[in-house]
Amino acid sequence: MAKNAVQWEQTPKLPPSHYVDSRIYTDNQLFQEEREKVFNKCWYIACHESEIPNACDYRTFQHPGGAPLIIVRGEDMQVRSFYNICPHRGNTLLYDPVGNAKRITCIFHAWSFDAQGNCVDITREEQGYQKRFCKADAALREVKTEVGYGGFVWVNTDDSSESLKDYIGAAMSELEPYINMPLEVFHYHRAIVDTNFKLWHDTNSEFYHDYMHYFNRVTGMMQPGYFDRKCVGYDNGHVLVGSMEIKYDAYEGSKQRGIGWPGLAQGGWILIDLFPGMTYNLRTSVLRMDTMIPLGPNKVMIEYRGMGLKSDTPEERAQRIFDHNTIWGPFGRNLHEDLLGVQGQGRAMRENTDSRWVLHGREENSTIHDEIGMRHYYAEWSRRMGRKAFDPYGEKRVTAAA
Amino acid sequence: MLDRTAVEELVYQSCLLLDEKDFKAYLDLCSEQFRYTITAHSPEIRKDMIWLDHDKAGMQTLLTQLPRHNSDHSPLTRHANVYTVNFDQAQKQAQVVSVLQVFKTDLDGGATVLFAVGKYLDTVTLNGDKPTLAKRVVKLDTRMLGIGYHIPF
Repeated sequence: MAKNAVQWEQTPKLPPSHYVDSRIYTDNQLFQEEREKVFNKCWYIACHESEIPNACDYRTFQHPGGAPLIIVRGEDMQVRSFYNICPHRGNTLLYDPVGNAKRITCIFHAWSFDAQGNCVDITREEQGYQKRFCKADAALREVKTEVGYGGFVWVNTDDSSESLKDYIGAAMSELEPYINMPLEVFHYHRAIVDTNFKLWHDTNSEFYHDYMHYFNRVTGMMQPGYFDRKCVGYDNGHVLVGSMEIKYDAYEGSKQRGIGWPGLAQGGWILIDLFPGMTYNLRTSVLRMDTMIPLGPNKVMIEYRGMGLKSDTPEERAQRIFDHNTIWGPFGRNLHEDLLGVQGQGRAMRENTDSRWVLHGREENSTIHDEIGMRHYYAEWSRRMGRKAFDPYGEKRVTAAA
Repeated sequence: MLDRTAVEELVYQSCLLLDEKDFKAYLDLCSEQFRYTITAHSPEIRKDMIWLDHDKAGMQTLLTQLPRHNSDHSPLTRHANVYTVNFDQAQKQAQVVSVLQVFKTDLDGGATVLFAVGKYLDTVTLNGDKPTLAKRVVKLDTRMLGIGYHIPF
């Protein structure tokens, strides 16, 4: 029987941990708080070290907390990060996404900086500032930076944050043996989608949406053991989706998967979601990395990287690229379906659409159609935000018997 | 020897048939050695990328399976302009460069937006009574395709 307006407003008949108020996906005030309390407190992947292989190579990065960053490899080969903001008049220092700059020189008034963030030149310094202000006063704002977990460059804008190692904890333990060799990015593209960033992370956290994918329906759910994979939650909101071997033979066009990944079983699959918006996805012969840059409560930019081994032969690399594109490329069969799904959520959950609750209530012994991964994520979100995901405004409006 | 008009009509016909999702007729324009590739250059990672790469059998499989997938049903309109046709009489081939614009029209309301721009780099075989596509490289300038699309350009 369909619900009337009052019934629609009632909280679901589930424990409060098993649903969220949909306003956490639409409210701009909450989004601004997320930037401050979540993204500017957590470690985040900015790029991969293979994108800046040489001394003075740089890469720009729009940090999800808001600050534009420069990731630069110094002449000492150490990777550092700085605000991409001139301390003089607030201009953008580097405009191109990549480049090589022994000196970072602002185009506006030609103040110049080295790859360690020191100001090395203020044009007509003495005439303008006499002794009141000098190069030592004009250094760049450095951001904590570490390289790890497959050679990714991680940044944290919180100077007092825990170490990357402490932040990740044991969450990467199952994947680490497979990514401890030099990796290389072979694919990069972005998608801007009108949806909330958490909804993309949700999609990466549950496999119940197998029903959306023809590919998964024929390769996954039909095979024994598919539903036995366990989701494991770790500190700080990270989640591992247990590994398995996928039998691709049932999907025409995906039978030839010869190269695999060192140490990983043929057809193997390990997926790890890292709070608040990153996903390592090692499947068969390719590591895919998703990083999300939220642009607003209902707009997210997702960066997709496809990774192979730096030691790949041309033939091996070609096979990885083929495997990647078949499923995950911009014309791939799964990625488009996943994005279509979260775009639909964004369309239905815009502000004022009167969407009320999103259910995370499936319990299946912590296996992959259990929605425990999302419950784990929103417990951490609630802790960091100081708001309950099911009652973000403290309205205490539980109206249905759970 | 086939003339430039026949080559141009092949390119335009390929656009019309894909727009109409008449995949069988599209593949009938292609020779048995047909190779289809979508490429793009990423300044971010300083690399040329391949986004799709199939022989004729691979394209046949891809196009057969697409209707089974969930997909954006907004129709695409491919607009090509043939810029250059260079005939190789000895090889009985032509190298064809066309600029490509792809528009997407929303099903709901019918608003049209520019979806992608790039080039077709075609190799056309001329040894029959009509030209056939032996190779098509879709070299995309656009790299941001939103939620993507299942049907190749």
